[in-house]
Amino acid sequence: MVRIGFEIHVQLGTESKLFCPCSTRFLDAEPNTNVCPVCTAQPGSKPDGINEDAVEKALKVALALGCDVVEKPLRFLRKHYFYPDLPNNYQRTSEPLAVNGELAGVRIREIHIEEDPGRYELREGLVDYNRSGVPLIEIVTEPDLRSVEDARDFLRHLRAVLDYLDVLLYPQIGFRVDANISIEGGERVEVKNINSIQSVVKALKYEIVRHKRVLSTGGRVARETRHWDEARGITVSLREKESVDDYRYIVDPDIPPYRIDAESVERIRSALPELPHQKKERFVREYGIDGSAAWTFALDKELATFFEKLVAKHGVKNALSFCLNLRGELNYRNIYFADVQGKDRFYKLADLYFTGRITKPVYIEYLRKTLDDPDFVPGAQEQLSDEAIREIALEVLKANPKAVEDYRAGEKKALNFLVGQMVSKTKGRADPKKAIRILQEVLRAS
Amino acid sequence: MPMIEELVGRMRNGELLPSEHLEEKISVLEERDHELNAFITKTLELAREQAKRVDRLVRDGKGGKFYGLVWGIKDNFALKGVPMTCASKMLENYVPPYTATAVERIIDNNGVILGKLNMDEFACGSSGETSYFGPTRNAHDPERVAGGSSSGAGAAVAAGMVDLALASDTGGSIRNPASFNGVVGLKPSYGMVSRYGLADLAMSLDVPGPIAPDAYGVALAMDVLQGYDPRDRTTVRRRLEFVATIDAFNPDGIKIGFSDVLLAGADGPVRRAVIHTLKFFEKKGAEVVDVDLPDVRKVLPVYYLVVYPEFASAMQKYDGILYGHRAGGSTLQELVSRSRGEGFGKEVKRRIILGTYVSLAENAGKWYTLALKARKALQEMFNRAFQQVDVILSPTVPNLPFPIGERIDDPVKMYMSDVLTVPANLLGVPAVTFPGGWEGRLPIGVQLMGPRYSDPLLVSAVRFFEKEGRPWCA
Repeated sequence: MVRIGFEIHVQLGTESKLFCPCSTRFLDAEPNTNVCPVCTAQPGSKPDGINEDAVEKALKVALALGCDVVEKPLRFLRKHYFYPDLPNNYQRTSEPLAVNGELAGVRIREIHIEEDPGRYELREGLVDYNRSGVPLIEIVTEPDLRSVEDARDFLRHLRAVLDYLDVLLYPQIGFRVDANISIEGGERVEVKNINSIQSVVKALKYEIVRHKRVLSTGGRVARETRHWDEARGITVSLREKESVDDYRYIVDPDIPPYRIDAESVERIRSALPELPHQKKERFVREYGIDGSAAWTFALDKELATFFEKLVAKHGVKNALSFCLNLRGELNYRNIYFADVQGKDRFYKLADLYFTGRITKPVYIEYLRKTLDDPDFVPGAQEQLSDEAIREIALEVLKANPKAVEDYRAGEKKALNFLVGQMVSKTKGRADPKKAIRILQEVLRAS
Repeated sequence: MPMIEELVGRMRNGELLPSEHLEEKISVLEERDHELNAFITKTLELAREQAKRVDRLVRDGKGGKFYGLVWGIKDNFALKGVPMTCASKMLENYVPPYTATAVERIIDNNGVILGKLNMDEFACGSSGETSYFGPTRNAHDPERVAGGSSSGAGAAVAAGMVDLALASDTGGSIRNPASFNGVVGLKPSYGMVSRYGLADLAMSLDVPGPIAPDAYGVALAMDVLQGYDPRDRTTVRRRLEFVATIDAFNPDGIKIGFSDVLLAGADGPVRRAVIHTLKFFEKKGAEVVDVDLPDVRKVLPVYYLVVYPEFASAMQKYDGILYGHRAGGSTLQELVSRSRGEGFGKEVKRRIILGTYVSLAENAGKWYTLALKARKALQEMFNRAFQQVDVILSPTVPNLPFPIGERIDDPVKMYMSDVLTVPANLLGVPAVTFPGGWEGRLPIGVQLMGPRYSDPLLVSAVRFFEKEGRPWCA
């Protein structure tokens, strides 16, 4: 039996860092410009009071995941280890802020707040402290997942919850995952710092194969921490030889314990938005669509919004078919609808198609173009007049006298051939049914 | 030595120009500092510019609280653009990009900054001898130590090189050198003065405070230094009145706590000076009450077990990567180990190693946790005492200033100097030291410790002694 659990690190979208007024937008600034004495650990600097917006966002997540908020004042600990991206050589990390949650049958053990380190480029030996001090929450699950597929579905669901709560600093980054996995007969292995859901899937599959191979050859799977090597698609042992990490935790004397009052908790709880599973149920109830389609829309916040607007304009049936096509194309590209620029173009495309101004093949072609080319704006293509279609039909008949002869001799297959010719010559510029009708008229008349 | 009150008066009414006063101080500095070694960095140019500006401000009636009084700053406070070494090779070339809150408040009130003062390395020491830049010498006997860790602050004020000094106290670092140099030093209540910009020793104990030639200087300084600071969340939203209440001390109805355990291990002259001071207050109407106190010598292990892990944590940032002494190395680990190995002195290393050991997970629940419990128990014990008395009187240091080199190789003996000063830090309460006697030319400091926020009362008691009493003489 496989057991999988996660520690998920989520960068919170607050304006300022956890303990200083610097901006959190580390990607949008030149290296080492969003910094101050606090987040570069200058001698004598002290953390400001904890960023209350970070606590608020952490609570939103905790409550959305059904956690109990811890009542005693929140203390911050210092977790000591030497690394160039960590200017204090300790990380400030809170005790659990909330415990005992649950998402899709997976138990959430606890959630706590911590500060992100800077970014260290090992090869060049350069450090960018813009990210140093950005607020993170770490969501720790119990090892309740039993397969790679379940694990993937869980992470997708969690990702949707975070999108709905609007707490992510950079949606395009998402979250970082430490995965722990064990299979029956082996110890628990932790794979650290995996940057995307797809990579989690790859890393877990890799580990399962590795564990099985080790066990089947009579070896033992040691308890260890491994690193996911994205480029090589493998996990590598990180610190097998070292004994247990000792972070020498002490309570940070610079940060007075922070009391979370019950009123704030209730205020945040009552202001929680509709969550993915609620949206799915509502879609099924209100629009009568089937559960799996509703869930696939609900997992993509912007797609779900788009779906509802399309329903208002073009009805459920059309909206459903359009969004299923769109979902397929998004999946193929491994992106969320939020990642696509110029959403208006998709409304326009739907209007063109559902008012019959473009044909189905053109619609599919345009859908892809609109996704791939942010400058492409779908427009109605010039349609052939009946007269023009008739001329094409005459050309087709003239070019294929043998087929015409066969048709007149009663050979049904010949008609199919002529229809095919007709469709390919009018493709995109005429409704295929109309083209066939005109072809038959011409045949009869000649 | 002109008393601070009189000096401020002369500068306020234009009798003495801040620039002229500064030049006097500079001439004392040039005469004495090559011998005393109280300064690590002199900021003469900066001081002269400041003084000129203050000349104009005073003329325009905007003298602030300090009217151009000359300050020295212990070299563990940040002043933007001026080296901040913490008396360590590690930070020999470190120039902070920002200014400490306490220093900012001094400058805003027209204090003129003459330089950064010598100290024990990272404030680890009780004699001023662990400085990378050499020991500071006692202003009254250059063969003897100046005390520590704020050695330069004690000596510079006593020698008249500066009017006032900003120092810091974790276990006696203000009071010990003030005592050894015969001046007044206040360790304020924890949270009264912002630590923002003060390099950490032990965050839950550190507090900045002033050293001055007299109680008035301490009061004037505290009126400026105190106050809530959003950049140090351990500061409190509470204002105390110092200068306004400085003459309000009335010995009638004051209860002074005392216990023989406070004299355990004290030198003869120290005992006599303390008894003399106690008798003085009693004669003036105060009641002396025998209080039940723990054997103060038991306080030291608690103190060091709290300090070491906090110190090891605070020192973790010095790795030679972003700033500070950087040794070569082909791997990261080598670079960090070598930088720390070369950058830190012996006492600093001793405390880091012990602090690291004490806070190891395998030792969890042993010393550190026990020390935190003992600290609580101690707080309760002293709180009970403070329900009976207003202040507790004791020696500041059990011994007289000793010859340079005598104790530096015996840390246990060195640590014994701190027995009477560390309780105030463990409790977070204020304590003041003032010269209560002289053994020849060596000063003897007497300490008054009170409950939290009794700081002004303590300073006013010193003022009362200065006006009405006379130090004991051998």
